[in-house]
Amino acid sequence: MKATRVFQITALALVAVSAVQVGWWLFDQHTYTAEKVHAVRAAYAGQLAAAQTLLDSGMNGARVQQLLPGIVVSRGRAALSPALEEALTSEERRRTNQYAWEGSFFLLALAVCIAVIARALRAEARVLEEQDSFLALVSHQFKTPLASLQLSLETLALRAPTAEAARTLIDRMLADLARMELMVTQILESARLERGRVEFKSEPLELASAVARVLAQFEERARQEHVTITSDIAAGLHVASDALALDVVVRNVLENALAAVRHAGGGSIALSARATEGEVELSVRDSGVGFTPAESARLFQKFTRLPGGAGHYGTGLGLFIVRRLMELARGRVSAHSDGVGRGARFVLTWPAAAPEPRP
Amino acid sequence: MSTTAAASTPVLVVEDDPHLAAGVMENLRAEGYAVTGAGDGEQALEWLKGHTCALIVLDVMLPGIDGFGVCRSLREQGNNTPVLFLTARGDPADRVRGLESGGDDYLAKPFHLQEFLSRVRAILRRWDWYRSAAASAAVLRFGDNEVDFRTFRARGWNGETQELTEKEAMILKVLAEHAGEIVSREDLLERVWGYDVFPSTRTVDNFILRLRKRFERDSASPRHFLTVWGVGYRFMTDGEP
Repeated sequence: MKATRVFQITALALVAVSAVQVGWWLFDQHTYTAEKVHAVRAAYAGQLAAAQTLLDSGMNGARVQQLLPGIVVSRGRAALSPALEEALTSEERRRTNQYAWEGSFFLLALAVCIAVIARALRAEARVLEEQDSFLALVSHQFKTPLASLQLSLETLALRAPTAEAARTLIDRMLADLARMELMVTQILESARLERGRVEFKSEPLELASAVARVLAQFEERARQEHVTITSDIAAGLHVASDALALDVVVRNVLENALAAVRHAGGGSIALSARATEGEVELSVRDSGVGFTPAESARLFQKFTRLPGGAGHYGTGLGLFIVRRLMELARGRVSAHSDGVGRGARFVLTWPAAAPEPRP
Repeated sequence: MSTTAAASTPVLVVEDDPHLAAGVMENLRAEGYAVTGAGDGEQALEWLKGHTCALIVLDVMLPGIDGFGVCRSLREQGNNTPVLFLTARGDPADRVRGLESGGDDYLAKPFHLQEFLSRVRAILRRWDWYRSAAASAAVLRFGDNEVDFRTFRARGWNGETQELTEKEAMILKVLAEHAGEIVSREDLLERVWGYDVFPSTRTVDNFILRLRKRFERDSASPRHFLTVWGVGYRFMTDGEP
């Protein structure tokens, strides 16, 4: 921020100095040309006087004009020729114009360069700021499961707990570790997505089996957290996506739903799918804490963490990753809720794909 | 572990992370405290309307009103229950913010269980001292001022009623117990805050300034709260002539 200020002041000073310099050039040039023209006029004044003397001594006007070019004679009086007069005036104007144009161009070029540099600096400052807030957020988000882990371990060490209490502590620690692992994965995934370093290999994938694979990983946790997950997806629906990306988006949407339901003290998550025109829709409906219309606009932005959402305990990156991966798959994601406490529905839409012909 | 010392002292734990909340509450219960949990600031404030406790363990990053906000609103309501902040941000600026919002101590996550428990005990011990001291000598009169340590209320020399903060009352209590003697800034820190929770002893000076504004006729030339250069302070009940 401070560096930007220094740059602004320096650029302003540079523009001011340059403008003064250009002004000085114009003035200097004007003075120089005026002096030149004055000198030429002075030179011609001598010739004019000579011509008049010749005329007065009775020399023929035509002869005088022949002897002294640039002098015209009319009715016995010698004068500077209008062409010469015009040439002198236009020379003065030409030089002034030339410097005015060159000076303006120079100032314009300078201003453009400064604007380009300022833009780059601002963009860099924004990136730095984003990184800072990201670091602050991530370190905060990591410290909570870390604190919980340390507390559980020290409790185990300090208090010889019963087998049952020890089991609870161990489950808690495993869940804390899983939370941290999820955060690390999300941070890496979003960093790769941001830098465009994602290899996205679109292929026809069977939705029901892909979802079933992800659901298998959630079974145990759902039972522990009193969440019922049901899935009603017809076999044979194929979507065009990268296999890993499909896995990640379904996992992240489910993580989010699970957190929302857990925060509401338990409930249900229902998955269903249908084919529409050229597309396949997966709907994930939960009975969790829901969100307001104002919040729904921010859901898919980076670092959005709504109270009770997965983001509240996570990195705020999960749904951002979903959106980016869905865009890469030429699909889309949307979220609907009737309000706080009234559950939510996330809809993932992929382009439909013809199943791969079996050899 | 002593389970009798804290026999059913009520403690409120305000922490939104379910694992951390469970861990903290289980350990406090194992120490013999009677623990209640709250998942956010609103819930905590609501509970405190109908209940009292000896200590609030308060997370800073809460959904809705944050921990600092909860503490400030308690103090504004005249609730002087001691607060131990838990936070993932441990930088000095944050510490100062926490303590200035009326907190008693500040513990950065992740923390050691033993340290957490010993800080809880230290806060409660300081309050036990204050309460018993306040019970034995409830009212202090100096100059034309009168302070009631039980209600945190005072009447200044000009007849104005003043609401003391708990820290102001504690400092005044320590000074009054040692009236006429020199009390060092470090002693005041130790007795009132416990340990080096503040970055400097300058904070003590700020509290003394506040006390002078409340109780001195001319705070520029104090007669009761005297500075002993380079050491600390001397409290004079009768006032320096």
